[in-house]
Amino acid sequence: MYNRAFLFNGIGSKPEKLVEKLTPELKEKYDYYRMEAFSRLGLPTDLNELTSHQAKTAEWLLPFICDRVVYEYYIDQGITPDIGMGYSSGIVIASACLGSIRHEDAHRIIMSHCSMLQKVEESGDKLDMGVIIGFSYDELKELFKDKFSPDELIIGSGNSSFHVMVCGKSEAVAKAVDFCTEEGAIKAFVMKTGTAFHYPVMKDLDEESIGVCKSLDFKTPVCPLMSVFDIVPLETAEQIRHENIINVYTPMRWDLALKKLEELGVKEFIDTSANGAVKKFSRVSRKCKIYTLEDVLSGNYKPHTHTSKKTKPDNAALTYSNSQNSNGGYYYERNYR
Amino acid sequence: MREITDEIRQEIKDMIFDYYADECEVDKSEITMESNPTEDLGSDSLMFVELIEMTADKYDLDIKLQSIGKYMLKTPMDTMADVVDMFCKIYQYGNDVVNQ
Repeated sequence: MYNRAFLFNGIGSKPEKLVEKLTPELKEKYDYYRMEAFSRLGLPTDLNELTSHQAKTAEWLLPFICDRVVYEYYIDQGITPDIGMGYSSGIVIASACLGSIRHEDAHRIIMSHCSMLQKVEESGDKLDMGVIIGFSYDELKELFKDKFSPDELIIGSGNSSFHVMVCGKSEAVAKAVDFCTEEGAIKAFVMKTGTAFHYPVMKDLDEESIGVCKSLDFKTPVCPLMSVFDIVPLETAEQIRHENIINVYTPMRWDLALKKLEELGVKEFIDTSANGAVKKFSRVSRKCKIYTLEDVLSGNYKPHTHTSKKTKPDNAALTYSNSQNSNGGYYYERNYR
Repeated sequence: MREITDEIRQEIKDMIFDYYADECEVDKSEITMESNPTEDLGSDSLMFVELIEMTADKYDLDIKLQSIGKYMLKTPMDTMADVVDMFCKIYQYGNDVVNQ
């Protein structure tokens, strides 16, 4: 049984919306990590100097870095996860924060999407994703039944009773958005991503990121990761690897995974996005609560002392120690024991 | 149809203004009936859904989001006056708000 689950958002929010929620101290750490990552990856800090595909993937890195800063702040405050769960690319940052891969590896996975964007463009297929607010997964499934074939559009994720993500061919996504608006969506919009994560054709288009996941050295995480595909807790290195591999081309059920966490005893959900993005589209029952960075910073959430089941790997237990960089700023050093 | 009194109307207005002031981190005194919830206050549709859920809980309403979505197609929420008016109609008519 678990008490506290960490929810990782990954890509989605605009970086500037995330960063404005950080305290000066956390912002300093974010800037340090960002500069370190960009320098290591050979990226100029000015995104205007990159190709459009490079710029997009580089921009995808920023929410990861922000999530890491928030995660480490929670750990510093004594708020630790019994189990984690990632939304879409949040699986990658969850894998890194929970010690299954290095953050550098997570960055490699993200940057490897660059070739996928190139492939999508060369294929001539126009792909996109969309968000429908005001319908549940089941309601949309029924609504789309005779309107769209799985080749053109699928439900990429059921997020909550009122929030669903769709993905597929651009034309179909736009049509679905218009259709849902007419049928009473509170809001429906195309995301203009130029790609369609969780759409099965991505298996062929995103071979590079799949290859990177296959080649990386995954370790047993410090605590389990709930699968948003199979809705079971994952405890081994190979399970986490598999979750990362299928991530790009498999539809998710975030709503069911949250429900499963509740069934497994989770009462406290901790949102690792700086702006509480996960809380906004997720819903849990009344006996549970999703806490955000704002709750922790304002003292509205205080961690309860509890004993929980934790998977303590023999070879990869993760500890953090404060280290100081040459600029005098703090960063966390990952130590595998 | 449920009767709505001036007191309930005022209560709904206060609840909505308090909610937006809190969520959008603006001073309540800066919000007027002419304020645009999105452009002036920076609200979004997920905040709006939460307000609907909160109102449904408070007044024990069984309301489908699609009924509200269809109402909004006819009457966009351009000002806080539109928002308050719609929530009063939800209080009165429930899912039949779409026909008002």
